Amino acid sequence: METKMINIKINGSDYQAPDGIPILDACKRAGIEIPTLCYLEDVSRNSSCGVCVVEVKGARSLVRSCTACVHEGTEIVTNSARIRDARKTNVELILANHPKDCLSCLRNQNCELQTIASDLGVKDDRFVRTKKELPLDTSSSSLIRDPNKCILCGRCIAVCGTVQTVYAIGLSGRGIKTKVSTYMEKGLGNVACTNCGQCALVCPTGAIVERDDTDDVFEELMNPDKVVVVQTAPAIRVGIGEAMGMESGSLVTGKMVAGLRRLGFNKVFDTQFTADLTIMEEGHELLKRISNKGTLPMITSCSPGWIKFAEHFFPNSLSHLSTCKSPQQMFGSVAKTYYAAKMGIDPRKMVVVSIMPCTAKKYEAKRPEMMSAFEHWKDKKGWSQDDAFYDVDYVLTTRELARMFKESGIQFSNLPVEEFDNPIGESTGAAVIFGATGGVMEAALRTVYEVVTGKPLANVNFTAVRGMEGIKEAEVDLNGTTIKVAVAHTLGNARKLFEQIEKKESPYAFIEVMTCPGGCLGGGGQPIPTTWDIRKKRAESIYQEDLNKPLRKSHENPHIAALYKEFLKEPLGHLSHHLLHTTYEKRGLFVWKSNGVEKKKKEMEHAK
Amino acid sequence: MDGTQTMTREFQEIDSIISKHKGHHGELLSILEETQLLNGQKFLSEEALNHVALRTGVPLSRVYNVVTFFSFFNLKPQGKHTVTVCRGTACHTKGSKALLDDLGLMLGCSKALEDGESFFTTPDNQFTISTVACFGQCALAPVVAVDGVIYSNVTTARLQKLLGKISKGRKKS
Ligand code: SF4
Ligand code: SF4
Ligand code: SF4
Ligand code: FES
Repeated sequence: METKMINIKINGSDYQAPDGIPILDACKRAGIEIPTLCYLEDVSRNSSCGVCVVEVKGARSLVRSCTACVHEGTEIVTNSARIRDARKTNVELILANHPKDCLSCLRNQNCELQTIASDLGVKDDRFVRTKKELPLDTSSSSLIRDPNKCILCGRCIAVCGTVQTVYAIGLSGRGIKTKVSTYMEKGLGNVACTNCGQCALVCPTGAIVERDDTDDVFEELMNPDKVVVVQTAPAIRVGIGEAMGMESGSLVTGKMVAGLRRLGFNKVFDTQFTADLTIMEEGHELLKRISNKGTLPMITSCSPGWIKFAEHFFPNSLSHLSTCKSPQQMFGSVAKTYYAAKMGIDPRKMVVVSIMPCTAKKYEAKRPEMMSAFEHWKDKKGWSQDDAFYDVDYVLTTRELARMFKESGIQFSNLPVEEFDNPIGESTGAAVIFGATGGVMEAALRTVYEVVTGKPLANVNFTAVRGMEGIKEAEVDLNGTTIKVAVAHTLGNARKLFEQIEKKESPYAFIEVMTCPGGCLGGGGQPIPTTWDIRKKRAESIYQEDLNKPLRKSHENPHIAALYKEFLKEPLGHLSHHLLHTTYEKRGLFVWKSNGVEKKKKEMEHAK
Repeated sequence: MDGTQTMTREFQEIDSIISKHKGHHGELLSILEETQLLNGQKFLSEEALNHVALRTGVPLSRVYNVVTFFSFFNLKPQGKHTVTVCRGTACHTKGSKALLDDLGLMLGCSKALEDGESFFTTPDNQFTISTVACFGQCALAPVVAVDGVIYSNVTTARLQKLLGKISKGRKKS
């Protein structure tokens, strides 16, 4: 049904608009911008801040344009002394209860509250504070919440609930005591939160931010006894330029490498190397499951938010998850075994830093089972628990890397273009596309097809699995057997596919799931803002980089071939099993009761 | 009966409350209201809330939102007797703050009251002290309600007597 067009007046001029759309949207169509604070396109319209007020003829008080709608004959005024006053007062009321910590706040100069206060010309601090100071939530290994900086816009709750269907946070209390809470104030680290960081990505202020690990990494870089190597996820090369003031989606692989060298990393490697390795392992795992009538569909396991989601919400179906570790974790264990041995480095002195678009990766790196390299060496070297180390020591998000560049005075856009170090820095186009939704599927299909048929692929571009549609499907013919595959991004979409599996109605053999909208390029650690337009630009650059690569299939990566020849021997072999594959934990909803991880963590702390 | 048995019985009772209200308007509110009455201390324990969430499929954060929004839900055990001190302006000028402080001393909960907790239950679960913004009985200030009965022009001495009586009555029974 076509919506009826109606006539409206904005600031005295005539316009047409679809009947019943919000005034804000109608004005935008007419090219008239109205300032907003709590409203976020596609995410939340909870009408809490009062910044978007306008005058509507016939209405006694000012009207919030983000939720009030237009009708035939609506007459709107978007700028008057009364409007400007009201907008300013509303922001002043928010600021009265806001700690003015801008200088030491992670969102300084990237904060919507700061911007709106300045845009609206807020000059004095006339209202008294009415709210009590609340404690920070530091229980999560990925995120820190500061309820004092919260303006109750509701965006985080909307993303967590409607987009991710996790519902880890919600409002609690009423009136002046209203705040964003986890269940029983347990803290994000003690409830079923996936650490996806989408809440931090949409928060207009510094009320939810990544746990900042830059100081620790700076310290390691200064330590002459340590060999500090870095790996970069595919999505960083299309995000870090943006965070350093370049255009959205700028493809800056070579500059990023150069910048990391200037920060003092001993070697600059690429997570894409182990993305190729993941394809080798996961591709063979899929083929094995198909031929041995194993559990199908198999679902990808690179996205740690998704893994934790499955552990909480589908604890009885974890056998559907591929046992492959994520590329980040594969990198850690390969670096501290194969590479360390090859270069004669004591793995205990090696520090692996990851640059990730993702806050959940911080949590993943600290999962107690992610110490495969230590387990590998321990008996051979006669090491004790005191020597224990994680495969990946630190995880920094794109935003943290930008902070390190700035602190170090690096002029990013003037950097030269440099190459990754070898042998664990080389990758194919198949690895680049891990950064976009559908990429892991496409990369796997490129390899699986050639392994099964023994024939070269005529067209390596599986365009059916590309793009921003929530759930995508495709069929592939593997030597006469047709398999159906699906790709989902956001946990809400993943939930739909998992429910289908639990009802035994899933027609698929293989499913790719990415936690974040758009895939990793829209990850919770990426530059703010991340909108659909920006996601599309980052995706274009990802597929451009794939085209730039001379090799575009993981099994053609010569360094991967060498890794198998010299060390791992074969996909799914004995060493792979220990170093590249993992297990999952049935967590369920009431996480504080499942203390396996907590117990192990405590043991670890004691060991230290 | 040990703790787990009590809990299992409570869970069964919650299940029947849930099936009774299934599909009705305002389902969650009714379920929680009745669940709160199950344990004799008029509060919703974490276990009970978990069970309600599990069986209704309502996310835990949503359940928590509801139980913290409505003041008739309690997340801590309520004492047998309730003492509610009015903190309205009239009562305040007539010394309700001093009454509250004295109550705190009498019942050993000064610390909690100082921390701004809006209510406190004594460790023996006999008394729950709470405050209210205004009873609307300003002419009779200061006003205190004990077990729902409003007492006017209350002094510390009177309060002491009252509570003493209640405690004694308790010892006899
Ligand atoms: S959230 Fe924004 S306004 Fe508040 S302290 Fe941080 S930068 Fe400043
Ligand atoms: S990290 Fe993700 S799952 Fe956790 S509260 Fe934020 S949006 Fe929800
Ligand atoms: S934490 Fe951030 S996103 Fe959530 S309500 Fe507060 S200000 Fe909004
Ligand atoms: S933007 Fe409309 S009320 Fe906040």
